[in-house]
Amino acid sequence: MNELKHVLRLTLIEKKDVAIAIFFGFIAGAASVALMGSSGYLISKAALTSHMTTLVVMAACLKLFGFISALSRYGERLYSHRATFTMLSHLRVSFFDRLAPLAPGIFGKYRSGDLLSRIVGDVESLQNFLLRVFYPPVVLGIVFLSTIFFSSFFSMGIAAVMFIGMLLTVIVVPALFSIRKRRTDGQTRAKRGSLAIEATEFLYGFRDLKIHQQLNAKEQQLANDAVQYNESQRKEGLEENLAQSINSMVALLVSFFVLGVGAYFVAAGELNGLYLAMLVMISIAAFENVAPMAAFPAYFEESRKAAVRLEEIVAEPAAPRGTEQLPEGPLDIKLTRASFSYPGEKKAAVDDVSLHLKPGTKTAIVGPSGSGKSTLMQLLLNVFPLDHGQLSIGGMPAEKLQQESIWQKMNVVLQENHFFYGTVRSNLLIADPEASDEKMERALAKVQLELFPLSMAVEEKGQNLSGGQKQRLAIARALLKGKSLWLLDEPVSSVDSLTGQAIYEELFQQGKGDIFVAISHDLAGLEKMDQIIVMENGRIVESGSYQELMERKSHFHQLKQVENSVFA
Amino acid sequence: MNDLKQLAFQRKNIMAFLAAASLLKGIATIGQALFFVFIADRVFLQNAAFESLLPLFGGLFAAILLRVMAGYAIGRAGVNLAADVKNEFRTNLIKSFAENPLLSAAQGQSGQKVSLLMDAVDEVDGFFSKYIPQMIQTYIIPLLLLVVIFTQNWTTGVIILITAPFIPVFMAMVGKGTKKKADEKMEQLNRFSGTFLDILQGLSTLKLFGQAEKQQKAIRKSSLSFRDSTMEVLKSAFLSSLMLEYISMLSIGIVALEIGLRLVVFDSISFFTAFFILILVPDFFNLLKDFGSAFHTARGSVSAAKQLGAELEKKHSPLTWGNEAVAPEPPHLSLEGLSFQYGEGFELAPFNGEIPPYSQVAIVGKSGSGKTTFMHLLAGLLPQSQGHLMINGVPRETVSEKSWFDQLSYISQNPYLFAGTIRENMEIGANRQVNDKEVLAAAEKAGIAEMISTLEQGFETLVGEAGRGLSGGEKQRIALARAFLKKPSLILFDEPTTGLDLRTEQILQASLRELQKTSTVITVAHRLHTIKNADIIFFLENGKLEAAGSHDELLQNYGPYKEMLAVQQGGGVR
Ligand SMILES: Nc1ncnc2c1ncn2[C@@H]1O[C@H](COP(=O)(O)OP(=O)(O)OP(=O)(O)O)[C@@H](O)[C@H]1O
Ligand SMILES: Nc1ncnc2c1ncn2[C@@H]1O[C@H](COP(=O)(O)OP(=O)(O)OP(=O)(O)O)[C@@H](O)[C@H]1O
Ligand SMILES: [Mg+2]
Ligand SMILES: [Mg+2]
Repeated sequence: MNELKHVLRLTLIEKKDVAIAIFFGFIAGAASVALMGSSGYLISKAALTSHMTTLVVMAACLKLFGFISALSRYGERLYSHRATFTMLSHLRVSFFDRLAPLAPGIFGKYRSGDLLSRIVGDVESLQNFLLRVFYPPVVLGIVFLSTIFFSSFFSMGIAAVMFIGMLLTVIVVPALFSIRKRRTDGQTRAKRGSLAIEATEFLYGFRDLKIHQQLNAKEQQLANDAVQYNESQRKEGLEENLAQSINSMVALLVSFFVLGVGAYFVAAGELNGLYLAMLVMISIAAFENVAPMAAFPAYFEESRKAAVRLEEIVAEPAAPRGTEQLPEGPLDIKLTRASFSYPGEKKAAVDDVSLHLKPGTKTAIVGPSGSGKSTLMQLLLNVFPLDHGQLSIGGMPAEKLQQESIWQKMNVVLQENHFFYGTVRSNLLIADPEASDEKMERALAKVQLELFPLSMAVEEKGQNLSGGQKQRLAIARALLKGKSLWLLDEPVSSVDSLTGQAIYEELFQQGKGDIFVAISHDLAGLEKMDQIIVMENGRIVESGSYQELMERKSHFHQLKQVENSVFA
Repeated sequence: MNDLKQLAFQRKNIMAFLAAASLLKGIATIGQALFFVFIADRVFLQNAAFESLLPLFGGLFAAILLRVMAGYAIGRAGVNLAADVKNEFRTNLIKSFAENPLLSAAQGQSGQKVSLLMDAVDEVDGFFSKYIPQMIQTYIIPLLLLVVIFTQNWTTGVIILITAPFIPVFMAMVGKGTKKKADEKMEQLNRFSGTFLDILQGLSTLKLFGQAEKQQKAIRKSSLSFRDSTMEVLKSAFLSSLMLEYISMLSIGIVALEIGLRLVVFDSISFFTAFFILILVPDFFNLLKDFGSAFHTARGSVSAAKQLGAELEKKHSPLTWGNEAVAPEPPHLSLEGLSFQYGEGFELAPFNGEIPPYSQVAIVGKSGSGKTTFMHLLAGLLPQSQGHLMINGVPRETVSEKSWFDQLSYISQNPYLFAGTIRENMEIGANRQVNDKEVLAAAEKAGIAEMISTLEQGFETLVGEAGRGLSGGEKQRIALARAFLKKPSLILFDEPTTGLDLRTEQILQASLRELQKTSTVITVAHRLHTIKNADIIFFLENGKLEAAGSHDELLQNYGPYKEMLAVQQGGGVR
């Protein structure tokens, strides 16, 4: 039950709805028992008397009970479902709230199809928590107890039969199935998850699968997963059907025994025959709604599993972050003796790195692939906490700063940029929700994308854009944001030199007093930079201006030699 | 709704079984009521001894068992039927995803498609596991009951005949209103999945731009509106069952009154008949009510099926292929007026040119000039709108797809790494079993072997989603290793060296030279050295082939090429 605590808490936000649902549920149950009971009584009474009045009074009662029962049933359903679906939306939102701080680390652990299946499928399945797990036993229990209490006035024997019936249907049968379920369980949710994972990857990797002629194999595998999920769903359905059938058999047998015991007492003269039909009808009515109780263990398990799967993801606490804001005006960034290694890695990706970025300077970071350039940039962004060392921005230690307030000051172009399904406009508005069309068009023009209409569709992950166009759109986004700290990770690597150079000029022009940090593999044109940092194996092996480095004839100089030999 | 029904009726055996079980259940229901009333009547009015009732109790017990068993059999058949149909839907859907040509595969949101496969298909379940069995029962059992009621007391039968038809009429009326709402609800769920997956992928981006909070609000809003549309659908479902309840209560009331009058006032009916009818009539209406709620479940299924149908019916214009095998050596390619257009968008003007075997081809041009599109066209991934790609003198359409792709290696501009080991990710490029040595050799050629050897688990390291993160260049090199593993006779590289440092590029150049000995290599390149050594350079601008020739030829005859080179050598940070 512990796992369901969070769900329960969210459910009880709608306390009033839940209470009303339980209340109406009880009224509906009791009224339908009364309805059936009084109709049984009516018919017996009618057989004996010839008074028209009894008949009329009883018929009126019948109508009344009927109306009450139907109306309350309506109310019960309405309120319980409203509470449920409100709870689901709370759950989705709270899940997202807790997920957001965990990015990007979370993607190293979970696949996106998995996350999708959890937040859509598992959350959806939790609707059964209130509807089938939480309140039906409560309502059913109250109705049963009052029915048994009522019957005991007529015959203790019959009350006892009903009591046993109640124990069987509400406790024993569900418990038996719960044990059976424990043995086979956990399958369906997990299989559903793996189907979603495979399907997502199939769609994301579609082009490469096609190119490498692996579509058929993957399709087979996917179909296989689907069959397995289906099979496990089928088994679950059969199990539920069996449990329901058994429960309804028990319920019918209860009325059978009520009739038997009643008949015995009537024959023995211990019960007035007038009440026999009534008691039998009562037992039929009371046990009418018990069949779904058989499904209780299934839904309980399912809810529990779903809750566990959800909690699992968001359980880990996000690293504590500061709350202070960055001051206005030009800021410098200082990194002192910083080290960082990715979780689970022995080798540090950035090792003992110090650097100082002053306003109005341009810095280039070069170095072999895998030397830690992108990681260093993430550290400057304060995305990952440092293992050692210190990052300070504008003189304030980064731990004290609110992460968002740092990002808010930065124009970032990552090595891989995400574009949302939508339009060019919607993708640009992310950077500046207030931007006018003209402003956006100007930004597009600066990256030579003036031919893009703002209303142009952007497919998922920008698949309908060329490689260079994606990079340029990302730069346009950064331009729109218009802050004074630029962090650019190979921003024009897929753009031709002509266009790339023009864009850089544009950027430098716009951000004269700004800090620029650009990662690049291209050594041409680095003369323009104030500072060049050469990285190797996570360390800074050399830094200085182009002139200085060339004169030192060390690492950078060697790189230049390589460039010449490659281009020769 | 009819389409789904057809799916059910195609499975004749299950349907026949359902009908038979329903018949049994109907008989058992009548038998149960009969024995019930027999016993009550004997005990209550005839003061019979308990022992004399035992055979009747036996009969009652048997009827109950039969009823339960028939009910179980019906439920079971429903579950099996639903599973069968869902399987069919899923298989078809997956097939349709797989058969999608590249272009339509890029359209729409993956999350939505996944949601179709999961949620929409699951939603169809109710139609087959609940509605169909209920429908068959409703065709059979009430009819049986009605016959029995008519034989017992024909006036009751008449009353039922007059009142019962209100139920389907009413259901149809309410159903009409919910149809649109149910469609809406299904669509919203679907859209939510699509958006959510997209947001998830871009979460870091959103955070960097300070938009995460706004998304939170958007999620809250869409979640609440989803709740509201769900409630709309449910509300009308509940309302209609309330109405059904009232109609049935009204009829039962009239029946009871009529029976009561006869029993008390006219004495023209026995207690036995009266009680018997009083038990049967609610059973009759219960079935109709159950059918009513199953009908609402079916509504949801129909909406889901509609969405599935829309996806399955999407017209693809797949690439056509033939059966001719391509010889396993570098082919001679001729482009004869080859052209292509993305819908109404970017157009690749008709191309003419020759690519002889073993040649080295470079494709250059500005960003967005159509290089990648051209490569896709050459690889046979996009259908040309006009002209022909001739392979060894025969049009591409007549060669077999398999033999063509067996020859070809295509490393695209941003290759996808699958969740799996590094080794699996490399092997995906090979069309055969490869041994460790070959894998290592390929990694060496791609300049990634050294890095892999520093990993604790080497080639078995998990990468991709939920795996170890890699740097941009490392990903690129793993993808490149795919080509070295295959030994193809035609290689297409789309900017193979983006994101690679110069030293790695040196290694790569050597490896490429080796490949060139055995194959035709076509490369999209920004960097000068690749271009310089090419036999032919295609210069693209705005989707047009502006010039073709060797480096020297172009340098002499074509101004823009010279300009481009000047910039490359001259500098500017890139
Ligand atoms: N999420 C991660 N988990 C573990 N290791 C990682 C992760 N991301 C990167 N690395 C490793 O950290 C090192 C530095 O990676 P980084 O991305 O900073 O390189 P880079 O210099 O930007 O290279 P490139 O030029 O190829 O982009 C590499 O060895 C890489 O394999
Ligand atoms: N799937 C698509 N649907 C519609 N238009 C597309 C699609 N893919 C590309 N385009 C458009 O076609 C044009 C050419 O794109 P392509 O990818 O061929 O350019 P490219 O020359 O490879 O550029 P880059 O050097 O930037 O990669 C671009 O304007 C692009 O927006
Ligand atoms: Mg990088
Ligand atoms: Mg391209």
